[in-house]
Amino acid sequence: MTSLIQVSGLKRHYEMGGTLVRALDGVDIEIAAHTFTVVMGPSGSGKSSLLYLLGGLDRPTSGEITVNGERLDQMDENALALFRRKTMGFIFQSFNLVASMSALENVAFPMQFAGIPPSQRNERSKSLLEQVGLSDRSHHKPSELSGGQQQRVAVARALINDPMLIFADEPTGNLDTQSGVTVMQMLSDLHKSGRTVLVVTHDPRMTRFATHKIFLLDGKVVSEADYQAATLDPLIGNIGG
Amino acid sequence: MKFSDLIGLVINNLSRRKARVGLTAIGVVIGTGAVVILVSLAIGLQMNANEQLYGIGDLSQIYVMPAYGGEMYMAGPGMGGGGGGSGGSNQDIKLLTNAALEELRAIPGVTVVIPRDYMYANAFISYKKMQGYSGIYGVGTNDLVDFGYETQQGTTALSRSTVVIGYMVAQNFMDPYLRPGQELPPPPDLYDQQIQITLVKYDDQGNEIRKNYSLRVAGVLAESGSEADFSMYLPLDLVKSMNEWSNGTRINYNKTGYNEVIVRVENADRTLEVRDQIIAMGYQANTMLDFVQGINNFYSILQVVLGGVGAIALLVAAIGIANTMAMSILERTREIGLMKAVGATNRDVLSLFLGEAAGIGFIGGLGGVLTGWLLGQMLNVVAVVYLAQQAASQGGIPPSVAVYTPLWLPVFVLAFSTLIGMLSGLYPALRAANMIPVMALKYE
Repeated sequence: MTSLIQVSGLKRHYEMGGTLVRALDGVDIEIAAHTFTVVMGPSGSGKSSLLYLLGGLDRPTSGEITVNGERLDQMDENALALFRRKTMGFIFQSFNLVASMSALENVAFPMQFAGIPPSQRNERSKSLLEQVGLSDRSHHKPSELSGGQQQRVAVARALINDPMLIFADEPTGNLDTQSGVTVMQMLSDLHKSGRTVLVVTHDPRMTRFATHKIFLLDGKVVSEADYQAATLDPLIGNIGG
Repeated sequence: MKFSDLIGLVINNLSRRKARVGLTAIGVVIGTGAVVILVSLAIGLQMNANEQLYGIGDLSQIYVMPAYGGEMYMAGPGMGGGGGGSGGSNQDIKLLTNAALEELRAIPGVTVVIPRDYMYANAFISYKKMQGYSGIYGVGTNDLVDFGYETQQGTTALSRSTVVIGYMVAQNFMDPYLRPGQELPPPPDLYDQQIQITLVKYDDQGNEIRKNYSLRVAGVLAESGSEADFSMYLPLDLVKSMNEWSNGTRINYNKTGYNEVIVRVENADRTLEVRDQIIAMGYQANTMLDFVQGINNFYSILQVVLGGVGAIALLVAAIGIANTMAMSILERTREIGLMKAVGATNRDVLSLFLGEAAGIGFIGGLGGVLTGWLLGQMLNVVAVVYLAQQAASQGGIPPSVAVYTPLWLPVFVLAFSTLIGMLSGLYPALRAANMIPVMALKYE
């Protein structure tokens, strides 16, 4: 299986309150195409930092990131934006829908930056809302939708430009159990449809859908056994969040 | 991003913050409204001034005089004066002789060259018991037609014993023996009446010598708003002989030249060009166009100054726009992060926020233009009535307009306020465009 994402020597350090934080400290991973990868780790382990770096939303301190044969760490802002537009879709924990826009407009929003004509945007957005089971809520504003419905709108928005890669940052974090399962099922369906899905989560239920798992502790990739051992140690404390 | 999508997003974003956008736009309304009304006022004043100046002189006329260096030949030997003036001897002065008239006629664009003399003898004008005051000019017998004058009564043609008078001349006839409190008689109808011009001079012993001329008013000129309204026109030869009698010397125009020559140009656009050529030939040349242009320059400066006063208010409004946009960007930081995540380039984000700032400027500008125009119309009604009353009581032409808004002004102000809005939003928009996506997405 070919690697869609290759990461080597990836570091992301930053200063916070005069202290150097090593969010990622030498990560080497490879993610194959058409896989469902779950990145697990406790709070502060660097899993969100990894997702943002792989999504080209942040710059590494050092190391190489190659996605679909392109070196993200060498791209300028403009090239990164265009690359994200064509290649990636994002799902966030807090949905990040535009409050003033209807569900349909939110789904179509990314297409506006791609210069797609309104008729085409509407057609595709309607079709995606139908796929996520929200065709009857297309003209509702986010405030008129439940958390689960908002996240389904966000899933539809992530798919609008038909990306090969879906990045999800704690997609079930703000959802009730039932809505969380629905979203997980959707992500699994996306994987089955041939997309590569990378989910950052602390929700152990997500691992059921995963084809691959990455465990992070203190900015480093560890084995599942080390991860289990560390997270079961009562001195480590509460995992996740 | 397509321009139509950008406009759609701008409208959508502005309409979701109506109260804030409205309050910010009010500042722009005040600024642009002030610019519109103040500049309109200056333009209205200029138009008024031009209306008052209308006919002050035909703008295609050039008044040519010999370059005496400030003194005329009438101050010469005959008057006991001191020579040919301070500018040099008579030999240095280029006189307006008949040959000079031919030279002037040869200038391209010149249609008419008319010599004119004025009566400088001591004289008084009378009609029955009344005495009048008027400038007296000598012109060729058929020259008044060439000046473009029309009559309201009689003819413009002159003969040896006739006079043509201006529209207002009769108003300047009064009874010198009128006692205080007595009602003023109405101005006389002088047309076809005999008026008397009495010249007065003194001999060496100081005895008064008088000479009387009786002339029939052959025509009354129509109102022109120019000096002609207050002037009497006599045949040039008659004025020459009056001046000769007064001076006690013979006047030979070929030797002394004419006092004044009026040159008419085919088109007022060429007046200044011909004037410059005449000056280059060594004569003095003046045109009312200089005066009118001076007045217009003054009002142009006034427009800039008044527009500047309004612009100060607009500057304050611009700071308001910058503040609103800075606040908006803070509140929408996560949205900016989202836009970048879904593929918006820095340029897209910059365009969107610049568009919103320009939109506030445009909305405010539109409101300001409408407010300024409406206030101008209201002011017009009040001011025109007031100025018309002033004109009626003090004489003069009543104004037709006090505040005038030409079409270019609202268009300019609207474009300017939009530009000001855009410039005010530049710094916040640049901040938004350069945000690091992950920082924006994580912003709390």
